[in-house]
Amino acid sequence: MNSQPPATDGLDPRTNRRRAILYGLAAVVSLIGLGDSIYLAVEHMAGRSVRCTIVHGCSAVLSSPYASFRGIPLALIGAGAYFTVFSLATLAAFEYKFAARLLVFVVAGMLLVTLWLLYLQAFVIEAFCQFCLLSALVTLALTVIVFVARRSSVREL
Amino acid sequence: MKRALPFIIILVVLVSASAVAWSLKESATNDPPTPTPTVAPSNSASPAAPTRSVPPGAEPPNAIGPATAPVTLEEFGDFQCPPCGLLHPVLKKMEQEFGDRVRVIFREYPLVPTHKHALHAARAAEAAGLQGKFFQMHDMIFENQKAWDKAFDARLIFEDYAQKIGLDMEKYRKDVTSQAVEQRIFLDGKRAHALGVQGTPTVFINGREIPFQSLEPGKLRALISNELAAAGY
Repeated sequence: MNSQPPATDGLDPRTNRRRAILYGLAAVVSLIGLGDSIYLAVEHMAGRSVRCTIVHGCSAVLSSPYASFRGIPLALIGAGAYFTVFSLATLAAFEYKFAARLLVFVVAGMLLVTLWLLYLQAFVIEAFCQFCLLSALVTLALTVIVFVARRSSVREL
Repeated sequence: MKRALPFIIILVVLVSASAVAWSLKESATNDPPTPTPTVAPSNSASPAAPTRSVPPGAEPPNAIGPATAPVTLEEFGDFQCPPCGLLHPVLKKMEQEFGDRVRVIFREYPLVPTHKHALHAARAAEAAGLQGKFFQMHDMIFENQKAWDKAFDARLIFEDYAQKIGLDMEKYRKDVTSQAVEQRIFLDGKRAHALGVQGTPTVFINGREIPFQSLEPGKLRALISNELAAAGY
């Protein structure tokens, strides 16, 4: 792991505290996404929720060819992404600067994928899955939090 | 200690997430009732469910293919279930490829209330069945699933299908709400329940449940061929 010491930036302690809270919040929010993705990935791999058992929309979405990427369930990739966000946000909360920078790119990538998946659900599959919508909501929340945290850092520098 | 703390937190979350995933996977594997221990390879059918106390379902069943066919595929389906709609062309393909060597039975298992039109669709198909046109209606309903799926009241659309396939409309309207139709759906549901059907589509091959993942043309073809070979065909 990077041995870079936590950066103090010489900033106002209140700013550092605010940033730490925002990144901590991002870490907590990403855990919601992680839980959601793990549930979906396990259900997908068990081949259970793609059958009609509980939710109509989820069956349609998860049984569509868009639910996997090269044979890997999209939810599993999502779980990996949320874990990455959690790790980076935690490190950023402890003032690891590289993590804060990397977090912006990861969350931006996730936002683009989320928008694409929302488009697929709305216009191609024509069904919405509430677990996928929850994931989209989490990504949008992460985008806002990370944006606010970065803005406060940049403003103070 | 402060420097190590975030890494400890990340590690704890990683371990917890793995544990949650593992326990979810275990519960997903254990949830479907397994009447006898599963020893079959993953792409083959599960062992036969016990036949004792399993009701036969509606008689005669809605079936394509001769009763003497060496392979019987029995589907428990819901007309409003998207995966059932996706399975429909796959089973059609199997019917065409294997002809008289395969018998395909469709059993009603409308998932009420999840699918609000499923029961109406089942009634419409069964009412058509009383006029000897079950599969014409069955095909019509599945092939147009997207057209009626979001309708406010799909019954009018089914009436339209009934007309298109040339049903006696007066009889159809009477049958669609009849006790005979209700009873057939109920009997299929009782059989599904006794066999431990958890969702739709669930397909049995010669009495053994086919894993959901095997309901695609390649694997299904292989399963049918194996059954035919075992029967000396």
